Amino acid sequence: MDKEGTLKRALLVIASLVALGVGLAQAKTTVEFWHAMSGSRLAVLEKIVSDFNATHPDYEVRAVFTGTYEETLTKFIAAYRAGTAPNFVQVYEVGTQTMIDSGAIVPVYQIPGMLGETWDWAQYVRPILLYYSVDGNLWSFPFNSSTSMLYYNKDHFRQAGLDPNKPPTTWDEMFAIGRALIQAGVVTNVLSFGWPDWQFEQQLAIHNYLYADSDNGRAGLATAVTWPDPFSVKVFTTWTELAREGIFLYGGPEYNANSAFTSGTISMLFQSTSSLDGILKTAKFEVGTSFLPRFPDEPRGNSVVGGGSLWVRKGQRPEELRAVWEFFKYLSRPEVDIFWHKGTGYFPATSGAMKQLMDEGWFAQSPNHLTAFLQILSGRQDTAASIGVRLGPFVEIRDYVRTALEKAVAGTLSPEAALAEAATNANRALREYRELVQ
Amino acid sequence: MESKFPGYRLLPYLLIFPSVAVIAVFLVVPFAQAVQQSFYRTSPFGTTTRFVGWDNYVQIFSTPEYLRSLVTTVGFAGLVIVGGLVASLGIAILVTRRIRGLGFYQVAFIWTYALSPAVAGIIWALLFDPAVGLGTYVIQLISGYRINMMVQGTVALLIAATAAAWNMLGYNICFFIAGLQNVPKEFEEAARVDGAGVWRTFWRVTFPMISPTTAFLLFVNMVYAFFQVFGLIDVMTQGGPGGATEILVYKLYRDAFIRLRGNFASAQSVVLFLMVAAAALFQLRVATRKAVYSR
Repeated sequence: MDKEGTLKRALLVIASLVALGVGLAQAKTTVEFWHAMSGSRLAVLEKIVSDFNATHPDYEVRAVFTGTYEETLTKFIAAYRAGTAPNFVQVYEVGTQTMIDSGAIVPVYQIPGMLGETWDWAQYVRPILLYYSVDGNLWSFPFNSSTSMLYYNKDHFRQAGLDPNKPPTTWDEMFAIGRALIQAGVVTNVLSFGWPDWQFEQQLAIHNYLYADSDNGRAGLATAVTWPDPFSVKVFTTWTELAREGIFLYGGPEYNANSAFTSGTISMLFQSTSSLDGILKTAKFEVGTSFLPRFPDEPRGNSVVGGGSLWVRKGQRPEELRAVWEFFKYLSRPEVDIFWHKGTGYFPATSGAMKQLMDEGWFAQSPNHLTAFLQILSGRQDTAASIGVRLGPFVEIRDYVRTALEKAVAGTLSPEAALAEAATNANRALREYRELVQ
Repeated sequence: MESKFPGYRLLPYLLIFPSVAVIAVFLVVPFAQAVQQSFYRTSPFGTTTRFVGWDNYVQIFSTPEYLRSLVTTVGFAGLVIVGGLVASLGIAILVTRRIRGLGFYQVAFIWTYALSPAVAGIIWALLFDPAVGLGTYVIQLISGYRINMMVQGTVALLIAATAAAWNMLGYNICFFIAGLQNVPKEFEEAARVDGAGVWRTFWRVTFPMISPTTAFLLFVNMVYAFFQVFGLIDVMTQGGPGGATEILVYKLYRDAFIRLRGNFASAQSVVLFLMVAAAALFQLRVATRKAVYSR
């Protein structure tokens, strides 16, 4: 009898433990989040996620690094088709139109209403809001927005007898300063680009030129790219000329060129402001930042938003959607937004965070954190060209532009022929996309 | 069949079923799907699908990019196969001589095969980094010329091919050593006695004797140069600069997974399959027949 009693008691204990475990598991809603934050950005993001999980015992966000932006988007697409997609995903600005047309997502502006809440969308800074909105409604959640700016090595400028507070403002000055740095024997190559395909888009946008018809694909699906036109050829020719003189050194896609800058092999770099903290930590010299150089005789536009935003998969259970939304609201808290901005260099996404940063004197303490933001806020925001490009097969088109630039700087093709070759492919891609989506 | 398994008519089929099932699930079915996909065009998220007939195939043969990729592949494979096999045969001959520390040399030359193509790619990409690479620096010291594999297509192709051949060196050497050790010393000695020089001995006696090994390695290296270098290219050049190292299998990957043109890539995979099948048949028929198997 005794033995039987012990067994019963043991079974009872086990059963109650199991029940408890199940209860706990049910109380906690887990959502999966795929992202592309590598390098120094990864640790900052992981800290935000773990802090959220610690302060929100009912929810758990599982953040999974899924490779580069390109890879993350393709993995999301593959997973969606297989029915194993995460609850929300970070997609770079290039994938925006693809996501809008996908039929796979819930536009974020609808989420508060679905959960019986309201949300003040006007708190997000205007260029981000404009870029990710369709007919005035925001489709993805603002998270890591950036734009391109000029980084330069002030020590190199001093060594060449140049004023370290006068980085190039125009492309002519880029030639002059580049030659001076080379002649002084400071470096053999001066300038390189991160995301070279994106820098091409930036040049068109800061001079208020369209990239594609249908208002950069914002008024409807684009049918053709605008290039090669005289301005785009001028951009390519300028870069090819800089390469021929040894001033411009093509540095490969994405963040590949950063190491040449931080190691002092080159003196200037065009790169996303999101590399700022990584560069400041690795560079053993005084880093200066400024606006992108311009052609003074051309019109003014604005630098365009890059980086990524968060997209919510459709077909989620209400409690999952609630968890995602709680996380989004957490990201928009001033202190979290500020932590993200300070740790990476991405824009503070909300005006609340912006004010708090200003009040505490952050921008006076680290003016490099303000450069890209000032650049984009001081530019015009009333033309499609200055707001940014939205194309269905944009990932593919960027690939063709990068190839064209590689061919032009290597001298394999003339700037015009290289752009024309890319345009043929781009227009074919736009046509195929339209045929499928319309 | 029945004579081998008396009384168990179905047993042989049962025994081979697992292998056939694995092949069907992982090879035959996906291949059939690829063939089917190649006649359609699908939106990225798979929401709309259109039948486009031969359009994907027409695009393959009407765009200059594909032809260029084909030429690149042949050039790349040629460098990897010919360069790699010549180098490894040379090294294999050297390390089968009676020299002090023979074992050390043999291991030292073979271990490159222990690295995966991706790791080999990282090593060579670092070595020839345009800004900070040691190889770039040494070449500049010797020739006064600064190479940049991120800009110069030919340079990138040569470096990638060298890296690929280097990675395969150990494997080739292993087989050549085994082949050379099977050549009876009496034949070479007899040739020497008859007054043949070293070169003549090698061409007339040794080389024909190891021809089965060479034929086998030719086949393995071809498969390697066509398909298995994917990781190496991905790490080193991503097909760049300007598509200069975009070999067929890498182009297929980029079209499918970066440019999101899965159907076009399916058509490419069918074409690639036909090409490799033809090459393999040709090699099995010709190269193997010419190889001398008996002593």
